[in-house]
Amino acid sequence: MSAAAEDLTCELLKQSLIAWRLTGTVERRGDGAVYVVGNAMDIRIERAPPSLPFRWMVTAGRRRRGAISLPAVLRQVRETLDPDYARNKVRVAVTSLVPS
Amino acid sequence: MIPVHLLTGFLGSGKTTLLGHLLRQQDFARTAVIINEFGEIGLDHELVEKSDDSVVALSTGCLCCKVRGDLVETLADLLCRRDAGAVPPFTRVVIETSGLADPAPILQTLMTDATIGGRLVLDGVVTTVDAVNGAATLAREAISVKQVAVADRLVVTKSDLADAEQSALLGRLAALNAGAPLLQAQHGAIDPQLLFDAGPYDPCTKSLDVRAWLGEGAHDHQHERHDAEIQTYAIVRTAPIHAVTLTLLLETLAEHCGADLLRLKGIVNIAERPDRPAVIHGVQHVFHAPTFLPRWPSDDRRSRIVIITRGIPQAWIEALIDALDAEVAEVSAPVD
Repeated sequence: MSAAAEDLTCELLKQSLIAWRLTGTVERRGDGAVYVVGNAMDIRIERAPPSLPFRWMVTAGRRRRGAISLPAVLRQVRETLDPDYARNKVRVAVTSLVPS
Repeated sequence: MIPVHLLTGFLGSGKTTLLGHLLRQQDFARTAVIINEFGEIGLDHELVEKSDDSVVALSTGCLCCKVRGDLVETLADLLCRRDAGAVPPFTRVVIETSGLADPAPILQTLMTDATIGGRLVLDGVVTTVDAVNGAATLAREAISVKQVAVADRLVVTKSDLADAEQSALLGRLAALNAGAPLLQAQHGAIDPQLLFDAGPYDPCTKSLDVRAWLGEGAHDHQHERHDAEIQTYAIVRTAPIHAVTLTLLLETLAEHCGADLLRLKGIVNIAERPDRPAVIHGVQHVFHAPTFLPRWPSDDRRSRIVIITRGIPQAWIEALIDALDAEVAEVSAPVD
């Protein structure tokens, strides 16, 4: 993971905790991973090995899961920190915004 | 395509008076009206003078709660009767909600129902606010705040009765929804042309006016407008945004914000199609598919996304776009 990407991911996770009104901390540690600590959980987010079809690995407790993108990372982090979280699925309108 | 306008506003805010005035105008003669009244005995439709059957009262419950299916059936039935010549060939539909209705689920219904999708196009939301009681209503009734926040046009009614109260009310309305033009109606009288055709498409000129739709000018300085419950702000980006970034952004907003994303509308410079801006629109977790305009409406080629939310920080959305676009750029980069 490039330093710039790591910074952006770290900032996104910090802002996400605020947006979700969750208590916790987000920091980069010396091993290059980003750690989210909250709700008595440590979540470790690191770049996935090239041999796996993921971009990220998210480890929470003993559970280690792959994530294909940052939205998948956000989902896993929020589900871990907030057991009451129920995600909405996007729906695409069938009507046009403007006539074709 | 027949435009559908939503007329909303809290109880007693003057919706029916406004509608009655509009329907007496020559330009509005070919308008079908659906009036949703909350209660067993509806009266409002009796107060709207119209000599044909294109006024329909929906009195089985509040549109936003129980009768969304009824709304679709009523719209479909109106279209059938129009096709059969049983009602005049109306060229627009106005839906007057009950005063207690949340407009967002109604907008979602209009956006997502396939029965009416090919014939009707959502135009915009007009919200009436009573100059005498409006400020107190906004302080007391959360649904009133939401009705104002999602509006494309705000109409202050009874302004002839409330000189002293108006400045506080106008300030509150600007805080809640700076992008919506603020209009005044006295005894329901207002120029219809100011009121409707509030969507990005103007059926009269058959042209697109995205700048007006976004309420540009109100958001030029990127000031976040704060209210106790609602925030309105504009995300402005100079660098083009990848198409995949936009998709992931909308998915993530829908997933995490749900009902707190009251409305989103914007024009986006897509990196892969820099000459044709994408217009986006969403209500809560329902989004129109992006529509590509044939060309930019002005020399301003920045992406501008107006967001009306309940408690979603602008900083989160800014960080989300930054991180998503960096990830997409990294994935898209050629492998050495």
